[in-house]
Amino acid sequence: MASQDITKNIFTVTSAPLWHCGKTLQSNMIQTLLALLPVAVMAGYKYGFAAVSVMAWAALTAVITEALVQKLMGQEPSADDFSALVDGLLFAFLLPATAPAWMVVVGSAAMVILGRMVFGGYGGSPLCAPAVGWGILAISWPDFMDLNGMLLNWDLIEPLSELKYFGLDAIADVTPVSLLLGEYLGDLGASQAGLVLVAGLYLMARGIVRWFIPVSFLAGVLVTGLVYNLIDPQAYASPVFHLLSGSTLLAAFFLMPYPSSSPAWRLPMLLFGFFGGAMVIIIRTYGIYPDGACFAVLLANLCTPLFDLIQPKPFGGR
Amino acid sequence: MTKPRLNTSVEIKDSLQGVPTPTSVRIPIPGKLKPVVKKKQIVGRGQVIAENPTKSAYGVGFEHASIDGMVEDILPDAILIGPIPASKEGEEAPVPARPEPCAELDSLAGEDLCRKLMELGVRTDRLHAARTLIINGLNPEPGVLVSEQLIKDAQDTLKAGLQLLERAIKPGTVKLVVAAGKQLSLHGCTTVTASDAYPATIDPLVMLAATGAERPDNVDIISISDLYRFGRVAETKLPLTEAVVTVGDKVFRVPTGMRVQEVLDAVGLPYGTEWKIALGGPMRGETIFDLGVGVPEECTAITLVPVNLYPAVQPNPCINCGECVLVCPARIQPGMLSRYAEFNMFENARSQHVGACLECGMCTFVCPAQRPVMQYLLLAKGQLAAQDDMVSTCRLQD
Repeated sequence: MASQDITKNIFTVTSAPLWHCGKTLQSNMIQTLLALLPVAVMAGYKYGFAAVSVMAWAALTAVITEALVQKLMGQEPSADDFSALVDGLLFAFLLPATAPAWMVVVGSAAMVILGRMVFGGYGGSPLCAPAVGWGILAISWPDFMDLNGMLLNWDLIEPLSELKYFGLDAIADVTPVSLLLGEYLGDLGASQAGLVLVAGLYLMARGIVRWFIPVSFLAGVLVTGLVYNLIDPQAYASPVFHLLSGSTLLAAFFLMPYPSSSPAWRLPMLLFGFFGGAMVIIIRTYGIYPDGACFAVLLANLCTPLFDLIQPKPFGGR
Repeated sequence: MTKPRLNTSVEIKDSLQGVPTPTSVRIPIPGKLKPVVKKKQIVGRGQVIAENPTKSAYGVGFEHASIDGMVEDILPDAILIGPIPASKEGEEAPVPARPEPCAELDSLAGEDLCRKLMELGVRTDRLHAARTLIINGLNPEPGVLVSEQLIKDAQDTLKAGLQLLERAIKPGTVKLVVAAGKQLSLHGCTTVTASDAYPATIDPLVMLAATGAERPDNVDIISISDLYRFGRVAETKLPLTEAVVTVGDKVFRVPTGMRVQEVLDAVGLPYGTEWKIALGGPMRGETIFDLGVGVPEECTAITLVPVNLYPAVQPNPCINCGECVLVCPARIQPGMLSRYAEFNMFENARSQHVGACLECGMCTFVCPAQRPVMQYLLLAKGQLAAQDDMVSTCRLQD
């Protein structure tokens, strides 16, 4: 009888669909690390061992802190998705290259604990974790975070501090090309503007970062910068200067699109990005900090639930 | 590994093929049907083995034996038919009784015809008289070729089905939806083109493409496979006993209830426990653990996917990335809804429109956290439906 020929093997059963697009959190994070690698190499080349040690401390502390807290919380360890490593590295990119190791460790641990783990881990946080870490350090130890003061060893200028303290004339010879090439002082990684831009474009081309937030964020920076520039070109820097200086590009491609702290629908993403971009210029113009990109990111993050209220009607809905 | 292509339209090279008749079948019986045969009974091909107890003209079609044989077992969800045992010395060999062609099929019309069609095994529960009828001519899922194959190879059958349907439900207009760029048409239909990229091929979105309205009233939609079933009945005037399924990259006519393993053997496709095997396409198909399962009448494909080809679904936490929100054709937030379902907050899921879900599976397809998102949504929908059922039962008892 034919039915006796039927194999008795038990086959694997899964829920539909059987296919997957293949992009997982782990593969996305590996791609992100790949994109950030040239930035890290360039930072090491420019600032030497100091930068390497800051990046190493930040990344190591982030991964270990996450593992320890997950142990405490009884969660499965998730270091193998590399999200903590990426956050640690992004955090390091926001620091001056000569930041003391103890401060990097404290900041990185605070970033993981307050920016990620208190909300349940990666993906639960309403704020962008690296920006949280930067914010904690910038407020707690402003002297150690002051780029101008920390980078006295290098005989270069930090464009944003120059603009803040000495006015527009001090940055008269700063050209967009030199900013792109990272010829000035700045945050360890974020000031390698050209490479950050390449990294961001690479991730966008791979479909890992969606275009909505970076593009609208940069548009926000440009439009707001242009408005100020048109009001008084003698007092306010050009929008392109703001676009390429400080951590604007890093914020556009890595901090603003941070998954859990940004909206999900298309229109809210565009508004969120534009709002963040506008805030960068406003904070740089009126704030007491030379670079306001991270504060702008945090402010925009706080408004995410509001942006998320703009929802389309469901299919066939009234 | 590259991202699998979601376009469903393909160039059909082979023609519709048959398979050798099996000696035993396992005919799946939908829950609404009642078996009308007994164990050890001799049945002929086309004989009714399970009836729909409803008196209405619209419902799930009756099931018929797809081979001559003897009923071996009656299970809750299937009837097993095996070969007739050799008759003993001196006894007359039992003759299986096959039904005669139903001559009155040509004279009936309207509801009587629908009722007759239901008795002949075609489901009529999606039909209503005098509505716009849309025929979904897009292949339902990537890798499932039935629709375009049938339009290419079974024009006459489809035409016969259409004529039958015109008598049965007198539709206002009939529209055929085909993939953009395909020169496919069917006699008597207005042809509309639509995207062939999944999930645009699922019924609600095809209706949207054809009528411009979301969830329109007064519109019925059937697939080419459905139309083919009507056409088969119209041509043969016999009960429906076959399914048209895609296996690999070819399309086969298979007797209802033929076991999956025998189909795979007949087709010559390799299989083993390193494959996941599903009835249906790769996006909505139901995986089976046992190759003894019979092919249901409405099955469109047998899909094989290597177990380790794609990242496995895991109960990971949602990372709020929003990928599912962007691909969802129903414009809901599958990620958030899946978390409501995960933590038994079904009422929240209802207020966030889980009911709008079209069950296309795109959310799970794109989820980088590898969550079974659609599964959670189906859980929420099922729980809410069960709750509503209980509430209405209580109201009736008051």
